[in-house]
Amino acid sequence: MATEALLEVRGLSKRFGDRVGRDPSPWVIQDLSFVVNEGEFLTIIGPSGSGKTTLLNMLAQIDTASGGEIRFQSQVAPIRDPKSLKPGLACKIGYVTQEDNLLPWRTTLQNVLFPLTVQRRLNDETRARAQMLIHAVGLAGFEQHYPHELSGGMRKRASLIRTLVYDPPVILMDEPFGALDAQTRTQLQEDLLRLWNLGRKTIVFVTHDIAEAIALGDRTLVLSRSPASIAGEHCNPIPRPRDIRGIMIHPEFGALYHRIRVQVQ
Amino acid sequence: MTNHETALAIQEALWVKWRQYAVTAGRVGLGVALLIAWKLGADAAGPLYAADPIKVFQRIVSDTISGSLLRHIYVTLRLAGVGFAIGCTFGVALPFLLRRVPRLTRAVEPYIMASVGVPKYALVPLFILWFGIDDAPKLWLVGLLVFYPIFIAVFAGIRNVDRGLISMARVVGASEAMISREVIWNALLPFFFTALKIALPRALSAAIIGEFLVGNEGLGYMIEYSRQNVDTTGVFTGIVVATVLVLVINAALVRLDRHFNAWRPIDRDMEL
Repeated sequence: MATEALLEVRGLSKRFGDRVGRDPSPWVIQDLSFVVNEGEFLTIIGPSGSGKTTLLNMLAQIDTASGGEIRFQSQVAPIRDPKSLKPGLACKIGYVTQEDNLLPWRTTLQNVLFPLTVQRRLNDETRARAQMLIHAVGLAGFEQHYPHELSGGMRKRASLIRTLVYDPPVILMDEPFGALDAQTRTQLQEDLLRLWNLGRKTIVFVTHDIAEAIALGDRTLVLSRSPASIAGEHCNPIPRPRDIRGIMIHPEFGALYHRIRVQVQ
Repeated sequence: MTNHETALAIQEALWVKWRQYAVTAGRVGLGVALLIAWKLGADAAGPLYAADPIKVFQRIVSDTISGSLLRHIYVTLRLAGVGFAIGCTFGVALPFLLRRVPRLTRAVEPYIMASVGVPKYALVPLFILWFGIDDAPKLWLVGLLVFYPIFIAVFAGIRNVDRGLISMARVVGASEAMISREVIWNALLPFFFTALKIALPRALSAAIIGEFLVGNEGLGYMIEYSRQNVDTTGVFTGIVVATVLVLVINAALVRLDRHFNAWRPIDRDMEL
């Protein structure tokens, strides 16, 4: 695997703004450093409230950092001042948030096409790509439905392919399958791996589920409880293509699960 | 399905249908009862205080044929329409501008809210003093009365927009103008339509009251002129015509709302 650093996080720290009449707010993230390589599927695991979403918001450039720096393609991203933030850094960093954030007044198809529409890249080729993705995740026949007419799993799929459709080099995912039942989640994990295999994007996938982190990732980082920093790093020896439904009985799974389990407090 | 179940289903369907008819029948019955009450009340009060509904109807027909009623309606609708357009434009544009300058917003907000409390009708003498006796003072009155409900609703609507949607739009590369047009405007449409339900009838009332005070045409002038000539039928005619206009405007608004807010899951069936 090519080990070119696409995204570098160095000494990143975050605390939220102080308010009058309160003690100084505690550090959410302190001195966090890691590297994401080109084409890598990195999973980050941490307990609830460990600042996972805050970390991704900073990587996506929609929230400021209190200290440290983020380099994307060797360029330092302006993340200290809210006014200089460049959300999505010129459409190169995609972000699948915890909530699906579909526009409720737009149909499934319009939602999926939304990034292409605002980037003025809507043409026959990109439309065909959108149709391909809609078929790939089983949303065919629901193009004209509004989000509230879709199930939770379908909304997640729509939100996932809305990011895939414009093909950003890096995709951040914040527990995208967290609120789903086990069956739907496994199905979506399989969909995601299949789509990832089509064109190996760089993915940073945050979750609190150890099994999910192992099933999907090439490498797993463990975050400590607040303030968050890296508590451990685990390379994943399970070869691809992987069988998600049978991942638990893979001989490497148990030991890896145990090593991570010890570090997640 | 057994015979018994079929029979039950048919019975249920009939019951649903009967209930729908009952509502329609109740509406018509209530309308007829109100008309009868009006007629009896008018007979009891005498022609000086209340007009006979039959005479009002005859007056509407004769004034329509002579053309004078249509002219009054046109003048009032034009005044209400132009005033509404001015008030609505400012009521929508100002919150969008204030969104860009949050510190200025916080500075001026208490003053805007205080100005809501100023009784607008009491300003009419000033408007006449400042703007003369043509359409200008009446346009100011209509415009101000339309401005406030729309400004407050749009202002609240902008604050209510889901931050997640705005962040999503920014990340996928939408400019601030696109975010205003696509995300914020659509998210506040329900608020806007609620405000229109208040502002549109208000525009018509304000135009009529303006015409009471200034001018020699329009429904307000017609009502006031009839009163001065002890023509109670004329006063009632003006009121009936104004009410019908408001009802027509509201019906058009409900259709427009249904069209634009068809996506809304919950309050699709709720209307005022």
